Amino acid sequence: MSEATKPITAEEAYNNENDKVLRFLKPRFHEEAFPTIQILGYIGSLILTFGAYFLVMNHVLPPVALLSVILVLAVFQAALQLGVFMHIREGRGLAWQLIPLYFVFFVALGMVGMSIWIMLFKSGVS
Amino acid sequence: MPSFVTYLIHTLFPPTVRYPDILLIDAGLIVGAIGLVGFLTKTHRWGWLWREWLTTVDHKKIAVMYLISAIVMLFRGGIDAEMLRAQLAMPSVHFMPAIQYDEVFTTHGTIMIFFMAMPFIFALFNAVIPLMIGARDVAFPRVNAMSFWLFAFGAILFNISFIIGGSPDAGWTAYPPYTGLAFNPGPGENYYFLALIIAGMGTTMTGINFLVTTIRMRAPGMTLMKMPMFVWATMVTSALILFAFPPLTVALAMSLFDRLFGSSFFTLTRGGMPMMYVNLFWLFGHPEVYILVIPLFGVFSEVVATFSRKALFGYPLMVVSILAIMFLSYGTWVHHFFTMGAGPGVNAFFGLSTMLIAIPTGVKIFNWIFTMWGGRIKMTVAMLYQMAFIPTFVIGGASGVMLAVVPADYQLHNTYFLIAHFHNVIIGGTLFGLLSGMYYWWPKMFGMKLNERQGKVAFWLFFIGFWITFTPQYLLGLKGMTRRLYTYPAGLGWHELNVISTVGAWIMGAGFVVLVYNVVWSLLYGERDVTGDPWDGRTLEWSLPSPVPEYNFARIPVVHERDEWWAMKQKGQTMAHALRPEDVHDIELPKNTPVPFLLGASFFVVGFGMTFKWWPIAIVGMLGVIACLLYSGFDYDDHHHLEADVVRQTEASLGRLQG
Repeated sequence: MSEATKPITAEEAYNNENDKVLRFLKPRFHEEAFPTIQILGYIGSLILTFGAYFLVMNHVLPPVALLSVILVLAVFQAALQLGVFMHIREGRGLAWQLIPLYFVFFVALGMVGMSIWIMLFKSGVS
Repeated sequence: MPSFVTYLIHTLFPPTVRYPDILLIDAGLIVGAIGLVGFLTKTHRWGWLWREWLTTVDHKKIAVMYLISAIVMLFRGGIDAEMLRAQLAMPSVHFMPAIQYDEVFTTHGTIMIFFMAMPFIFALFNAVIPLMIGARDVAFPRVNAMSFWLFAFGAILFNISFIIGGSPDAGWTAYPPYTGLAFNPGPGENYYFLALIIAGMGTTMTGINFLVTTIRMRAPGMTLMKMPMFVWATMVTSALILFAFPPLTVALAMSLFDRLFGSSFFTLTRGGMPMMYVNLFWLFGHPEVYILVIPLFGVFSEVVATFSRKALFGYPLMVVSILAIMFLSYGTWVHHFFTMGAGPGVNAFFGLSTMLIAIPTGVKIFNWIFTMWGGRIKMTVAMLYQMAFIPTFVIGGASGVMLAVVPADYQLHNTYFLIAHFHNVIIGGTLFGLLSGMYYWWPKMFGMKLNERQGKVAFWLFFIGFWITFTPQYLLGLKGMTRRLYTYPAGLGWHELNVISTVGAWIMGAGFVVLVYNVVWSLLYGERDVTGDPWDGRTLEWSLPSPVPEYNFARIPVVHERDEWWAMKQKGQTMAHALRPEDVHDIELPKNTPVPFLLGASFFVVGFGMTFKWWPIAIVGMLGVIACLLYSGFDYDDHHHLEADVVRQTEASLGRLQG
């Protein structure tokens, strides 16, 4: 077999300087000694959850204000989960992270928003 | 303690599980279990079972276990279907009492969707995806085993309900208030919610696993637009699972809270809102029907290209349309409950969004037809299912668009028209696709082909039986027969059509018997696949021997083309895959672990305890869960190295090593 058609190994392909796509796909990992941020994030997420529970169970706010506050808490919760547990800040380039993330936000907002719209029963017929 | 024993018997064996047919099944199960234990003991296979199967993390073995479970569940769901059709064959039949009829249609639907179709799909994912993308395993092999055991123990929990405590009987959708404690006090619905939560956790983990696998584990050179269509379908399905299952888990957990802890999310008293359950359920439920069919779109794309001996027509358009379907499927869920009366604005919006999905689906149908156009078609069983799928799915889809017209839906809602529609798409799309994929990849999974002649008999029985069963049901729906009707009086004009439908169900049952015969016969006497490429395939899994060695690829391939294996064969480079001894290095493989099995078993104990509100049992199970997770979290000894010499020997024995 001639040198030109010789198959290359995965490691060689990943380290090929001329192939940007392959270098982009090479796996990379990041580790820390002690997960301080994760533990703080866990406590924070519990506080946000029980805060929402407390607000609902004790009826401290009128309905519209209550709904708004819960939605704001949910946004904080989502940001916390993404930032702390889903490694949103560790990356190699923006494309992989952001396009799915925009899609996630779009779908989540669509689900919540349309559910509210549906369950309001602004009906002329029913 | 006689009072204690009486309590146990009354709780575990209430009158609803003491029908003669169920007692007969009890006896059969006991005999079968004793026989199985005796067989395993006599042939000294307990150690083999534990080492090779129960603790395995190998995706190929997990695929086999998924496949076996799915076929067993197809049998159970099929028996349920035959019972339903027997009851409805004649007017005023009381073969089953109303309560048992309710239980049977509930378990039929739930088992077919969650415990037959889903594991069958995961069987195909597990069997093929790592081979197709040139990887040695999925991204998280241990999580993969956990997914399987959570599914398996969820399925066991669901399936013991009809012999211990009573089946769920509120339909596969489990709407409140049918599931409310006030109207449904037995343990049946607890079984439903807990089994689905446990199996659903496994499914969510599978979704994450295959999303990461398809994004991160592809061989170098396999860019997104060079992925085979089945890999695209897997990626999209995994994304759908990831979004769709959380609303289901939330809805099921809230219903369970209503039943066990006295909350009132969905009860009619104390300000609960039953329709919110319906909304949450279908937020999951509509993406779920695409979870059920998109993988099979991928299977059909592979099958049609292979057996037409042509590249898939319009590959970029196929990708765009599969992504469009994924996106649109999140915006259509209200069409399952138009009659709730959310208002004309809401209904019009969701009716239109539903019709929009027909466009990308139509694009895919045309592309499959154009792939066949001018190709040299080989009529194998897999290809027959593909060709049967196209007209069946088109007609099912067209009746779906009819149901999307809101005023028509007010007439057709919950009639047999709807039943016929969704069986048309789920059998025509999902079941035909699963069987097509099974026949196509069987040589790769087991090293022998399924007998084609027997397979064709099974195919024709399924295909003809399907149309005889469900065409009359469209007409019955138009004549006003509603679903979940346990019997009907004579004189409504439904009698003849129901008889025809039942005959069709028997034909499909015969098809299942032939299918099982085909599998067993082929395992014993089937034609061995010695080439590894029995169909003249196009994608990388056919470059490997059948069955595939434990490490899949002795050397990870580098991909240049969309149909890499086909291109290599065209260029006469298949020998380039034969290795030189110095190219083989040590291979890192995941280590077998009992944790996934024990985790599933612990969840089973939790589920069983909570079903009967026996909290000590549930707590013991929960401690088991925590122990498994802690152990797994700090277990760093999770992989081993396969020596290069072992790999060289294996490859040499397969004739794949140079020199």
